Amino acid sequence: MTCQEFWDAMPELEGQPGADAAAHLAACAVCGKVMGNQRALAAGMRAAAADWRRTKAPNRVEAKLLAAFRGQAGLAAPPPARRWWTTALAWTAAALVVAGAFLLFATRGRQTQAPANVPVAAELAAIDWSARLPAELAAQGAGEGFITLPNADRLPPNEDLNVVRVEVPRSAMIALGYSVTADRAAERVRADVVMGSDGLARAVRFLDE
Amino acid sequence: MADAPAETDDELLLRMRSGDEQAFVALYRRRQAAIYRFALHMSGSAAAAEDIIQEVFLALIRDDCGYDPERGTLSGYLFGIARKLALRQLARRRTDVALETGAGEPVPPELAAGADQLADLTRKEGVAALRRAVQALPERYREVVALCDLEEVDYAEAAFVLGCPVGTVRSRLHRARSLLLEKMRKERGAGPSGALKPVRCEI
Repeated sequence: MTCQEFWDAMPELEGQPGADAAAHLAACAVCGKVMGNQRALAAGMRAAAADWRRTKAPNRVEAKLLAAFRGQAGLAAPPPARRWWTTALAWTAAALVVAGAFLLFATRGRQTQAPANVPVAAELAAIDWSARLPAELAAQGAGEGFITLPNADRLPPNEDLNVVRVEVPRSAMIALGYSVTADRAAERVRADVVMGSDGLARAVRFLDE
Repeated sequence: MADAPAETDDELLLRMRSGDEQAFVALYRRRQAAIYRFALHMSGSAAAAEDIIQEVFLALIRDDCGYDPERGTLSGYLFGIARKLALRQLARRRTDVALETGAGEPVPPELAAGADQLADLTRKEGVAALRRAVQALPERYREVVALCDLEEVDYAEAAFVLGCPVGTVRSRLHRARSLLLEKMRKERGAGPSGALKPVRCEI
């Protein structure tokens, strides 16, 4: 076997070479040296791979993707089969939405009438999102027009926040007090969602009202 | 009692398609690290890699993502998207500024060793030098090294990702390793070595 034939065979760096290749390596000092260097490189690559194995995407990526998935899944979910419990669930959800919207507006109304007795929902609405969002987002005006969601009351002072743009059914706006007609309920609207580091939405604004 | 066999990627994808959030999270957590590292090897930038990993999985979320299990694995499909995005980013960056390859950085004194002292590549500084050398490879060689050597993707899947025959993957990998050795020698201040014969180079 010549040197050219040896390298044309592209020998693997791990494991035992074939009989011909082994004989050539034993006889040819130059190929033996090059092969030794290639094996050292392969060992270095394995060490590098092991060293980098701990590297993974930052957690905020998962939170953003989860928000996008939720938005998409809400749109793409096939219509469920009609069963008694789905109907009951739908009515329960509708009742909760109405109750939530009523509470939200009731507390906002009390804020204007009796400022001394500020309710929780009004406190939440008073959060200055442009001050809480990362500076580069706030500079682009990303903090304006957000509606604070009830779970923002657990927002730690230095929480890492992100804004994710999603598309949701227009019917999702009902829960926040918007009026949506039945014929437009299935339309898609774009929304910016302020996400906490736990992946939960803290505030939302709709771009296509 | 034996553990239940883990769900395959395709099974998780099926559940994900029906809106199962847990399936999406499981699939993401299973595949994100390798795809992110590949994007990082290719782009050399954590910010770019973050954008790429996000775009890859956003593409998967879309109903019309174009993944076909008949043509290859989901992992290969994800690597393929990441590769296209990374190459696009690199092309865009080339028009703005020169790539940061590390070639202009001063060689740390501990790396200025003799030409034949490659045995310490497994040490920390050797690994760092190797990383710089990988970053300095031309894209077509960098991608095959990142896939096969660093992420241990097999040749068949790498061929699917790169859209070329398995033989081309093997020959590019051999060429890439030779270029890496040459690069490492230069970084160690030894200059091109007469002892390092060029191996097959048919690309």
